[in-house]
Formats: sequence, structure tokens, C-alpha cells
Amino acid sequence: MELRKLTHLSMLLATSVVLNIIESVIPVLGNIIPGAKLGLANIVILFIIYIYGFKDAIFVSIMRVLLVGILRTGLFNITFFFSLGGAIFSVIIMAITHRFTKLSVVGVSIIGAISHSIGQIIVAISFLNAPNLIYYLPYLLILSIPTGIITGMISNKVIEYYKKISN
Amino acid sequence: MNRYDFILISVILFVCLLFLGITYINGEKDANVAYVYYDNKLVKTIDLRIDETKEYIVKGYNGDVVIETKKNQIRVKEEKSPLNLCSKQGFISSSLETIVCLPNKVVIKIESSNDELDAVVR
Repeated sequence: MELRKLTHLSMLLATSVVLNIIESVIPVLGNIIPGAKLGLANIVILFIIYIYGFKDAIFVSIMRVLLVGILRTGLFNITFFFSLGGAIFSVIIMAITHRFTKLSVVGVSIIGAISHSIGQIIVAISFLNAPNLIYYLPYLLILSIPTGIITGMISNKVIEYYKKISN
Repeated sequence: MNRYDFILISVILFVCLLFLGITYINGEKDANVAYVYYDNKLVKTIDLRIDETKEYIVKGYNGDVVIETKKNQIRVKEEKSPLNLCSKQGFISSSLETIVCLPNKVVIKIESSNDELDAVVR
């Protein structure tokens, strides 16, 4: 890996960890629906998908979950697998939609938010053996629309700005 | 944002509202029995038909979890966890709802089965 890219991805990884910590300190949405989050770290992952591609995005995403686990929530417990399931699933789906559809950054971001919720619910249902959790999905998905739009718009600005300065 | 984004948003909203509509029409029945799980094992079965406020204590991963029940309702009253999500969730009363305390590995499911109830509740 080129040194410049390696440095850049490391900085992005650090940023995503910090964003993750920031949003867990201010759980505004979590008070409305348990477990709901703004998904700020997705700004970074979207950026990497658009600038570097799928492989780097999934690598940074998994590293982020590992680092947040080590720093805050602990490794290999239920919460960890929740995050991992949501993160991996959302990166794959976002990369596919970015590649094969005409959705804008905002659309891909909404898809990311949705697939994150779906991934988590799948992990939750299989781990906790509680199929009833599927009834939370519509609420989570409706909430994904505003959060996806917010993070998508921020990513869009960052991607535009980056392309401008790197030319 | 382009028009595909708006189509996406409309489709999501439509599917979600449809799903919510279907669950609403199918009806949420009154809950009359609660099953408390710790680490995926059933540890307590609570009869919710009793018309009085009661408290139960079950073991959680971070210490005791205090559960409070009223008629057809159940909530987690106290528990130790970083965000206290499951005690903030408050009372649940429909068989479509579930309380999950991830840090404590406690899950509460409620159901409205009348038949087995007498056999299960002791």
C-alpha cells in the first residue's frame, strides 16, 4: 500500500473511532428508540467507498469495530457482534448500490443506514433468539431516512471538497 | 440528491408504513405472561394477569435486574448498564414488544397465550 494512502486511511480510521465515541456520548436518538444512532462514523466509510473503493472501506470498517471494542465496549461480547454485523452488512450493501445504481451519495447513505439496522436486527434475532425484534425494524428504518440524509449530505460535502483539493 | 433518492425514500416509507399497518390490523393482544431470559436461558415466568404492582429480581451480567409488573404490563425498573436503555424503555404491554438488556444479557418477551399459562406459571 502506498504510504500516502496508508497514512490517509489511518487518519480516517482514527476519525471514525472518534465520531463513534462522540455519538455514544450524546445518545439523543437512543432516547426515542432504544439502540438508534445517528451513524456519524458512516460519513468516513462512505468517503472511503467513493475515494478508495470497497476493499479499503470494509477493512477500515472492521478495524473501527475492533478499536471501539478494545477502547470502550469490549471485544467478542454481544454488543461487539451487533456492531460487526451492522458494519460489514452496510459496507457491502453500500458498495453494491454505489457501483450498480444511480443513487447519489445521500441515497447510498440512506441505504447504508438501513442495511446497518437490518444487519444488527439479524444478529440480534439470531443471538437472542427473539424473533419479535423484527417489529422494531420499521421504526428503525423510518428513522434511517433522516439520519441517512444528514450523514449523506456531510459525506457529499467532504467528498466534493477532497476531490477539489486533490486535483 | 437526485430523483432516484426520492424514489428510494418513498419506497422505504411505503414498505414501513405497510408493515406497521399490517401489524396494527393484526392487533396487539394484551400480554398476560412474561418470559425472562438470562443468557438465552429461561429464568422466570411471570403471570401478568394479577392486578397489582409487583417486583421481581433476576440475576443480570452486571448485577441484579429489578423488574416491575402491573396488570398486563412489565418493565425493567433498575439495572446497571452504560446507557440504561432497557430501563428507559419503560413499560411494555403488547406481545409485539420485547425488552432487551444487552449489557445484562437479559431479554423479556411477553405473550398472550391463555392456554398453557396455568401449566407454566407456578
